[in-house]
Amino acid sequence: MSISKEPDEQINNSKRQDTEARFYYALSHEIRRKIIKLIGENENISFTKLKKELGVSTGTIYHHLDTLSELIKQKKDKKYYLKELGVYAYKSLKNNIETIKTPDFTHQEFKSPILRKLMKITYKRFIQFEKGDKKLTIIISLFILITGTILCGLNNFYSIFLFFIDSGQNFMDFFLQTLISFNFILNFFVFFIIIEGISQLFYKKKENTLDFLISFPIIQFPMVFYLISHLFFKLFNILNFSIFNLLDKILLIVFQVWSLWLLSYSLSVKKGLKIESSLIISLLLHYGSFTIILFVLV
Amino acid sequence: MELRKYINTYILGVIGSIILILSEFFSWFSDDTLIEIYVLYISSALEDSFLFLFPLLSGGICLLGSILVIYKFEFKVQSVIISFMGLGFLLIFFFDYISQVIEYISNAGIGFYLGVVGFLLILFNILNMLINNRTTNGG
Repeated sequence: MSISKEPDEQINNSKRQDTEARFYYALSHEIRRKIIKLIGENENISFTKLKKELGVSTGTIYHHLDTLSELIKQKKDKKYYLKELGVYAYKSLKNNIETIKTPDFTHQEFKSPILRKLMKITYKRFIQFEKGDKKLTIIISLFILITGTILCGLNNFYSIFLFFIDSGQNFMDFFLQTLISFNFILNFFVFFIIIEGISQLFYKKKENTLDFLISFPIIQFPMVFYLISHLFFKLFNILNFSIFNLLDKILLIVFQVWSLWLLSYSLSVKKGLKIESSLIISLLLHYGSFTIILFVLV
Repeated sequence: MELRKYINTYILGVIGSIILILSEFFSWFSDDTLIEIYVLYISSALEDSFLFLFPLLSGGICLLGSILVIYKFEFKVQSVIISFMGLGFLLIFFFDYISQVIEYISNAGIGFYLGVVGFLLILFNILNMLINNRTTNGG
């Protein structure tokens, strides 16, 4: 029995290796990967739309479609659909998109426990959003901006980059409180313009400006958490206790570092900068703003 | 010598952190050292008593980050994040304390200068780590 099974196993192994080779060969070309992604995102695609999206000659498209015969099929409606192996290829491409977009993240140092935990709390989906997630990202970003604005007003805080300055007045005119609230939005735009300016001036990275703007409020998300915790402490009047005062300050530092990490990650993904360069921008901006505030105070 | 392997430009981060820790035991804007002010405030149960421990905490955390990068350069991103955290304490201390004693800024004691020097050395060390593309230890 075992003698008759061995050739079968060898044939099966050989077939599997053939499929594997064809699978990886099919995905080895940029245009073929684009075709798989286009079909995957739209469920099916016509030849005319494919030609329009790819912007290459008819002959080139036919050649690549032929190579992809194991992964895609053309149905009676003349449209192209993904086969089972094609669906797997699309999922695999989609799951590995982060690695493809930012090869730096495959580096050994990102496999350490601290950074793995940081990556877990990083909203990758909304920072490097796909076409389908764009609307959701806009909604979340607007929600963060509105919530931050309201919370800034309730806490009587002026917002400067990732810092907050207490106005020192507990009872304030409604107009003045609204004005302080909108400082959060103004700060958001100033913050974005400076970051975008630095990446364009010093690193010549002009791409993805609109996408970067859409996902930029995600960076402020941890600061919204801080505003909530501070409001909680304020409402219960427990900031007078030294331990809660300390906790409030520790929370500010933790959320600031989390925001700085999100900013660095976002710059790395959206602007294609190395993580070291992104950290330099974050660092310069953070300590630069600190120096400005200190000068204002002095 | 084994020790030579660990002596490089990143030692500045360690020196900065030690200076920052030392500043805790010198006077900043009054005749009392920060540790004495902390003891005084905590015994009176004042709300921001822990604030006066922040340079010490900051120095300790930054020392950990600086040692980490000297031990293994591959940990530089982790070291930068730890240093961000450490310097965060110092920034809050600067904000809260300096705004309280702003009128005495011209009569600052040695502790203040040590704090500023330590802060700048740590900042320089972080920038040096990020700019340097070296991937292994030693030089």
